[in-house]
Amino acid sequence: MTTHTDPPDDARVHGDDEHLPCGRPLSRVWDDWERRTEDPHRTGCPHCRRAVRELDELETAVRGLREEFPGTDAYDAGPLTRRVMDLVRLELRPGRPLPLGEPAEDLWIMEAVAARALREAAETVDGVRAGSCRLAPADGPDTGAVELRLDIHAPAGAGLPELAERVRRRVRETADRHLGMVIAAVDIRVTDLVDAPAGDQEGRTA
Amino acid sequence: MTAHIAHDTLVEDVAGVVEGVPGVAFLKPGLAARLRSAWSGPAAGPGAGRPPAAGIRLTPGPEGWHVDVQVVASRRDRTVDVTRAVRDAVQAHLAALSPGGPPARVTVTVTGLV
Amino acid sequence: MAGARTPTAPPDVGGVTDDALLTVRAAEGDEDAFAVLVQRHAPALIRLATRLLGTPAEAEDAVQEAFLSAWRRLPEFQGRASFGTWMYRIVTNRCLNVLRARRPVAPLEAAGEVPAAEHTTSPERLAESRDAVRELREALDRLSAEQRTCWVLRELDGRSYEFIADAVGLSQEAVRARVFRARRCLTRALGAWR
Repeated sequence: MTTHTDPPDDARVHGDDEHLPCGRPLSRVWDDWERRTEDPHRTGCPHCRRAVRELDELETAVRGLREEFPGTDAYDAGPLTRRVMDLVRLELRPGRPLPLGEPAEDLWIMEAVAARALREAAETVDGVRAGSCRLAPADGPDTGAVELRLDIHAPAGAGLPELAERVRRRVRETADRHLGMVIAAVDIRVTDLVDAPAGDQEGRTA
Repeated sequence: MTAHIAHDTLVEDVAGVVEGVPGVAFLKPGLAARLRSAWSGPAAGPGAGRPPAAGIRLTPGPEGWHVDVQVVASRRDRTVDVTRAVRDAVQAHLAALSPGGPPARVTVTVTGLV
Repeated sequence: MAGARTPTAPPDVGGVTDDALLTVRAAEGDEDAFAVLVQRHAPALIRLATRLLGTPAEAEDAVQEAFLSAWRRLPEFQGRASFGTWMYRIVTNRCLNVLRARRPVAPLEAAGEVPAAEHTTSPERLAESRDAVRELREALDRLSAEQRTCWVLRELDGRSYEFIADAVGLSQEAVRARVFRARRCLTRALGAWR
């Protein structure tokens, strides 16, 4: 097929390029065509035109192939999600146990479980979204208390100190009333401001 | 005295006591149950047949039994109250089996809320 | 997607929670957050894997394993890329390994011997026909794993060379070279058939 024996001069394609009878490297002709580069030679040269036509015909077949694959809308992710989650549950990462109740009661809750409840508490404040929630036993010997650091996304335009205070209150309430965990300190970090769509707490538009 | 009670039977016993405590959803599913769920598909979820004594560990010690309990609790109840009720129920049950012995030491850990 | 919701993935209470937050939660051990991510990204990843591997059954396996691998690696995930991009990379590499492990099929040179099909329609129509697509599928199986992967990401998935280079861990030049070789093999296969 190759009639030229010159070494390829196109550094983009290593080694095994081929040259058309007009001297152009095939890789360059196709590359120019893909980039929609204007090239008077290509329009006039029968070899280049043939090379481009072959790629065009490939494109047509590719369109046909693309249509043979089902779209994403048709895919029901439910069964796959269940299979994945069944496997994930064999490898949970619950974190460390954290104390509940009075010091030395020997009652515990796993960190990931408490974190989920406390994130939910934070999200009861309008427009707040909770991210990282780290819990650790408070410093000091057997205080039985826990320190908490929570990252949130806050609605743009909210007064941040007031917002943080409301989140802190909700988190403390939940820790006390729902879990029974003694919280020594709550550190709230606002890591992002988000535009709150109207009626955000209603979720999807009514 | 307690040595005369078959260990496995006692574990089963304690498991029944724990599961009867209000606010306990179920004992922490053991690996066997989770493997079964992973391999048999969605039909066998948690609670589809309790695996024997998952979530209960019973160790005899010089000061009496040490019982380690891992439960999934109901989120409708205050978590610490559920764990206290579990502790009290287990202690009462073991005390009834061997009156006069030292009280059992009970560790309760909540591994999930549903 | 309304019908695809299942009890496995808890509903996103209070609106849609963005991937970045869910990723952080999942990294901290919240498997429910991970379930939402799986449910959300599975359709696009299944489509990608089906395009790369050719069969839906193999695609399901590859995506399932990719998600499991992601769950294990989440604590180290730095969040430099989005969860979607990260998963795209994991799925692509898993498919690449599946393709590498396949038994090689007949080399391309054999395509020259393929007898012309019994076609009488005009050449312009031929390329559009079902047979051209079938021929293209077969020719794809004769590409190397890397050629096929780069070509599929470029032509079927419409990705930039930069994106592909990042996804498969090659230089952009190397990706261009593989796409070029793939195109040459495929145009030849179609040409031989004509």
